[in-house]
Amino acid sequence: MHQGLPHDLPIGVVDLDNSSNSRTIIRTLDAMDLLKVEEVYHSQSEARDAVQRNKIYGFISIPSGFSASLQAFRRPTVTYYTSYALLVPGSLTYGAMRKAVELVSGAAVRSQLLARGATENQALGFIQPIVIEPHATFNPTLNYSIYLCNTLIPGVMMLLISLMTVYSIGSEVKFNTARYWLEKGNHSILLSLGAKELPYTLAFFAIGFFCDYYLYGVMKFPSNGGFLPMLFLTLCMVLAAQALGIIFFSLIPTLRLALSMSCLWGVVSFSICGFTFPEIAMNGPVQALSYLFPLRHYYLIYASQTLDGNSMIYSWSSYMFLFIFILLPFIFMMRLKRELIHSFYIP
Amino acid sequence: MRNTILQGLNELIHICQMELKIIFHDEGVFIFCILVPLGYPLLYSYIYVTELMRDVPVTVIDDSKTALSREFIRNLDASQWIKVVGYSDNIPDARQHIKEQQTYGFFRIPSDFSNRIVKGEQVSVGLYSDMSAMLYYKGMFIGATDVSLDMNKKIKIERAGKATDEDEKMVVSPIKSREVALFNPQQGFASFLIPAILVLVIQQTLLLGIGMAGGTAAEKGEYSELVATSRRNRGTLHIIFGRAFAYFSIYAVQAAFMVCVVPKLFGLTQLSQGLDLMLFLIPYLLSCIFFSMALSILMRNREMSILVFVFTSVPLLFVSGISWPGSAVPPFWKGVSWLFPSTFGINGFVRINTMGATISQVAVEWRALWLQAVAYFVLAYMSCRTIIYRERRKDKTELREPFM
Repeated sequence: MHQGLPHDLPIGVVDLDNSSNSRTIIRTLDAMDLLKVEEVYHSQSEARDAVQRNKIYGFISIPSGFSASLQAFRRPTVTYYTSYALLVPGSLTYGAMRKAVELVSGAAVRSQLLARGATENQALGFIQPIVIEPHATFNPTLNYSIYLCNTLIPGVMMLLISLMTVYSIGSEVKFNTARYWLEKGNHSILLSLGAKELPYTLAFFAIGFFCDYYLYGVMKFPSNGGFLPMLFLTLCMVLAAQALGIIFFSLIPTLRLALSMSCLWGVVSFSICGFTFPEIAMNGPVQALSYLFPLRHYYLIYASQTLDGNSMIYSWSSYMFLFIFILLPFIFMMRLKRELIHSFYIP
Repeated sequence: MRNTILQGLNELIHICQMELKIIFHDEGVFIFCILVPLGYPLLYSYIYVTELMRDVPVTVIDDSKTALSREFIRNLDASQWIKVVGYSDNIPDARQHIKEQQTYGFFRIPSDFSNRIVKGEQVSVGLYSDMSAMLYYKGMFIGATDVSLDMNKKIKIERAGKATDEDEKMVVSPIKSREVALFNPQQGFASFLIPAILVLVIQQTLLLGIGMAGGTAAEKGEYSELVATSRRNRGTLHIIFGRAFAYFSIYAVQAAFMVCVVPKLFGLTQLSQGLDLMLFLIPYLLSCIFFSMALSILMRNREMSILVFVFTSVPLLFVSGISWPGSAVPPFWKGVSWLFPSTFGINGFVRINTMGATISQVAVEWRALWLQAVAYFVLAYMSCRTIIYRERRKDKTELREPFM
C-alpha cells in the first residue's frame, strides 16, 4: 500500500439511457484516477448482484430518458448506489462518483453561463456559492500509509519486545537456570535483570532506529518534530514494552500464561489505542482502560510531536504515563525475585 | 466388516476424547480455544459499539462576523459530525487548542464571506483538520460539505425566486443526484470491522491452540502415543479425524456464539440467512483446523506458537482486503494472503453477513475454502506420518527415552 491512495477501484454503471450524455458520464467516471468502470449493467439488480459478488464496490444508475429530460430542462436524477460494508472503498467511490457527476453537471452550466456573458468568477459563484476548502494538516493527500504505518509498525514492535522479554525471563525458569542466573548477578535481581535485558534494549533500539530512519528518512513521512525527539520516543517505547513484559511475568510467573497475556494485550492495543477509531468516540470504560496500553501513549506522542511538530512539552502527560510503565518493574522486582527462587517450570 | 467399522469408530472417539481432555486441562490451550473466542468478540464489539465518530470538537475563526457567517457556524454545530466548542481569533490560537488536544480541527470563515455571497461570487471556507486519525477529517469534511450544500440550495432559491426565468433554476444544477447506501448505510465502524475480526479470531485461536498442543506433545515426547495408535489399522486417518472432530465440535459452538449471539447483543448489522452462514462456516472451520494441524508439526515447544502466529493477525486483516481495498493490494501480498483461510473466510463472511449475499454469490470463496480444506488435510496427514516415522526411528535407536 505504498501508493497511499488506491487507484482504479472497480465500479459499475447501470445505463438505462444509452445516449451520448450518459456516455459522457461513464467516460468521466472512467477518467477519474480513483475509479475504473468495470462493466455497464442492464439493471440495478444485476449491478447489486455484482456488488454482492465483490466485483464492484458500488454503481451509478442513469435513468432512461436522462438525455431527453436534460435537454427539456427537467433536471433528471442520477443515483449513486454505495456500500459501506467496506468503509474505505465505500466512501472513496462515493466521493469520486459524486465529483464526476458534478464535473459533468458543472461543465454544462459553466458553458451556458459563459455563453450568456458571465465571468468565470460569477459562473462559479452561481453554481456553488459556498465551497469547503479542506486542508488535511501534514497529510494533504490523505495518504493512508502515513496514517497506518506510523502506529502499526511501533505496535508490532512493542508486541515483539514484550513477548521477547517474557520469554527471556521465563526460559530461565523453564530450563531451571533461574537460581544460577541470580547467583551470577550477586543475588541482586536488579543487576541480574538489568544485565539480561540491556542487550535486548540495545538491539531493539537499533531496530527502532532503523524503522524511524526508514519511515522518516527513506519514505519521507512527515516528521515535523525533528529526529532526536523521535529517537527519544523510540527509546521510551522500547523500555515501556520491556517493562510491560517484566510486569506480566512478575504477576503471572508461568511462561506460557505470561506470553499469552502479553500477546492478548498487544493485539488489543491496536484497537484501543484509537488511531483507527478515535478514543473520544468510545465508551467511557474503554477510554479509561486505554491508559493501561503503552501504545496509546506512544500514538498520542507521535501524533503531537512527530506529525504536528509540537514541542515535547505538549505531550508531557503521555510521556509521564510511559515513564510510569518504565518504573513499574522496580516495584515488582522483589516479587519477581521470590518467584524466581521458588520457581519450578510447570508445563 | 461391521466390526472393523465399529472398531474404527471407537478409535476415533477415543482420540477425540483425548484431544478434548488436552483442550480442557491444558491452561494454555484452554485460554486460546475456549476463553479468547468467547471474550474477544465481546471486548472488540464493546470497543467499537458506538459505531460513529460524532461531534468532532472544533473551533471557528469567524473573520466575517455577519448574520450569514453565524448561520453557517450554527449549522456546523447542528450537524451530527461536528461540535463547535468555541471561537478562535486567529490560526495560531486555533492551533493552540489542537496542541492541547481540546479540539481536532478548525474552520476559517473569510472576512468577505457575506459580501461575496451577496455579490454572487464564490467564497471558500477553510477546513483544517488534525490528521492523527482519518475519522476526524472525514467527520469534519462530511459535516461541512452537507452544511455548505444546504446553504447553497437556500441561497440559490433566494436568487432564483427573484428571477422569473424558468431555466434560471435549471442552470443552477442541471443534474440532480442522490445516494442510496445499499449496505451499512450509517457507515458504522463496528458493523464494518467486527465481522472480519470474528472470522480472524477463529483462525488465529486455532493456530495458537493447536500449535501449542502440538508443541507440548513434541516437548514432552507424547507423540509416542500417536505411534501406538498408528500401529493399528489406518491409524493416521483416525488420528487426524479424531483430533479434527474435537476442535470442530468446540468451534461449531464458538462460531454459533460469534455469528448469532454477539451481533444480537450489540445490535450489529446482520442480513444473512442462517443456512448460508452454516454452509459457509463449515469449510472455513475445516480448513482452519487442518491448516493449524499441518503447521503444528513445526512447533518444537509449547511457547513457540505464540511467538510465531500472533504477528500474523494484524497483517492478515490488511491483506484480506477488508480495510484496504482488495483491488489495491499488491499482487505478491495477494498471493501470500491466499495461503490463509482467513482471507477467503473474511471476504465471504462479510458479504454474507453484511451484504446479504447468498452462498452462490460467494462461490469463489466457498470453493477456495474447500480446496484449502482438502489441501491442508493432505498436509496434516503427511505431517502426522512424518511425526510417527520420526518417533518410530527414535524408539529404535534410543531405546525409549521419552524426555528428549
